Amino acid sequence: MMLGLLLLLPIGAYLAWLIWALVAYPVPLSYNLRSLWQRKVSSLSTAVAIALVVGIFVVVLSLAQGLSVAFVSSGRSDQALVLRPNARFELNSSIERDRMRILKVHPLLKRDAEGPMASAEVVVVKLFPMADGTDNNVTVRGLEREGIALRPQVRLVQGRWFRPGLSEAVVPRKMQGRFPGMELGRSLRMGGREWTIVGTFDAGGASYESEVWSDVNDVMQAFRRESYSAMLGRLENPDRVEGFAKTVEDDKRLKLEVVRETDYFKELTKAGDPIKILGNLITLILTGAAIFAAMNTMYAAVAGRTKEIGTLRALGFRQREILASFQWESIFLCLTGGILGSGLALFANGIQTGTTSFETFSDVSFAFTITPGLMAQGVAFSLVMGLLGGFLPAWRASRIPLTEAMKGG
Amino acid sequence: MNTDRFDLGGGEPIIILRDVAKSYWREELEIPVLQGIDIEIPKGSYIALMGPSGSGKTTLLNLIAGLDRPTGGSLEVCGYELNDLDDDELAAWRNAHVGFIFQNYNLVPVLNAFENVELPLLLTGAGRGERRDRVDQALTLVNLTDKMRNYPRQLSGGQEQRVAIARAIVTDPDLLVADEPTGALDAKNAEEVLALMERLNTDLGKTIVVVTHDPKAAHHARHQIHLEKGVLDRTVEVNR
Repeated sequence: MMLGLLLLLPIGAYLAWLIWALVAYPVPLSYNLRSLWQRKVSSLSTAVAIALVVGIFVVVLSLAQGLSVAFVSSGRSDQALVLRPNARFELNSSIERDRMRILKVHPLLKRDAEGPMASAEVVVVKLFPMADGTDNNVTVRGLEREGIALRPQVRLVQGRWFRPGLSEAVVPRKMQGRFPGMELGRSLRMGGREWTIVGTFDAGGASYESEVWSDVNDVMQAFRRESYSAMLGRLENPDRVEGFAKTVEDDKRLKLEVVRETDYFKELTKAGDPIKILGNLITLILTGAAIFAAMNTMYAAVAGRTKEIGTLRALGFRQREILASFQWESIFLCLTGGILGSGLALFANGIQTGTTSFETFSDVSFAFTITPGLMAQGVAFSLVMGLLGGFLPAWRASRIPLTEAMKGG
Repeated sequence: MNTDRFDLGGGEPIIILRDVAKSYWREELEIPVLQGIDIEIPKGSYIALMGPSGSGKTTLLNLIAGLDRPTGGSLEVCGYELNDLDDDELAAWRNAHVGFIFQNYNLVPVLNAFENVELPLLLTGAGRGERRDRVDQALTLVNLTDKMRNYPRQLSGGQEQRVAIARAIVTDPDLLVADEPTGALDAKNAEEVLALMERLNTDLGKTIVVVTHDPKAAHHARHQIHLEKGVLDRTVEVNR
């Protein structure tokens, strides 16, 4: 963190000086822009290389953004998940039926006309064939009717909800493209039974779009589970979660752990870490290459315009004015690539994809989400490339001895 | 022709060189280029610096124009002791007091004639309107107002050099320095450029120092200063 700040500080100060130089120094910008245009082929090829790197950078960020949307929009701060101590995730957790009976009538749970707003749930994973021929684990969630009400972002878009005792399932609409045989009316083989798909739902980008849902008792019977995985319950307001957690954790009959639902999903976003690490590694390597491409183009520009630089210096332009001028030329070159790359990344927006969560060993479905903020980050990234790639050539341009420059280097 | 050692006539000196020396170093080896240059050049002079290759004439011109620094002695040019100026001050001094004319014109290819002439004015703080007027005047003087939107590649060699002359005079400097200004021109264009420079000297009173090998170009000057192996050899007054 400190090291990052130490690195950013001089870059920020240098950029501030450059912006000031843009206003205060007299070398006309048109000189740099036209010089770039004059070397169309090398300028454009460098800009395209930078566009590709920025495009990849924005797409990698959009993966993380998509995952973040999937998990952050899944949870509510006034809801809590009850798990076995140290289970961390629903898949590792188990709560026996007698404990669940005590838990579900906890006085701090919010109540509606049906009673306490809580859902006893079971989570298992099942291998399903994907459209690309591979297999992937999918989370199968057994839940009570109240569990649907606790997730208002989940909306039925086709058919109806499952009924208890009939081995019926509902599937997310977005999974249908990635997993064949999940169309309405088709049947799924799970836990030694055939399950009829009676409905499809949309979860507004939340992580439930990676889950098959059915009745909790049907799933427990089919998968021969004696205990539930977890309970999801709603409190009167977000402040009540701590009190609820304390009473549940202190109750010797229960000995369970309570996690605020939003915190639980925050932990799950770590599913995207391997993608992010790989993406960042690829971006880092490509960034190095792009900076060298920009540096090479600018060195060639300086070498080809040594006499011009000498002339400007002879006419009275100072070294720092030459430095700022060539630095801006490099920045414009890279910014062109940055804007192009951020624009190209838009083509990935909304494309549905998935990854395997190393926390739950099951598929997490999400969409590439290109936001204006991410595009701005891509452009800012190209600006940094322009700064780093252009600095040494610009420095060289400003330091060529005047009499040498006059002779053309 | 009247031959006399270092007598350039009377008048207020604009260039005063006292025991000026310049050496270059190649590793441990000192290579002297100029030694013991002592001369005063009066305001309004038109001087041709002559001598064989390697005699140090371009080095001397660079020192007078503030493009290079001496390794010994002192230079007072246009009222400023150049050794006392730091790099930034020297750059500002060049902008205010010296106009440059180069053998290969040295126009910026991506700027048109107007913009090339305007370049030195960008450093003066002059407003857009004032800059436009002064560029117009300079281009009128070199008879190129009809070519002001042309880029260097759209001009002939003679026209390019006239644009370069307009750029040299647009800030109204006291001193014009030229290094082989006709070296890249055919005879007709060379004669036009030399006539123009002569007018700048006689009509506008500009002091001109020109380095040339060309006897015709040197004949337009009022005095010729000959250098030999880095020292002043003689001055010659030209009878025109």
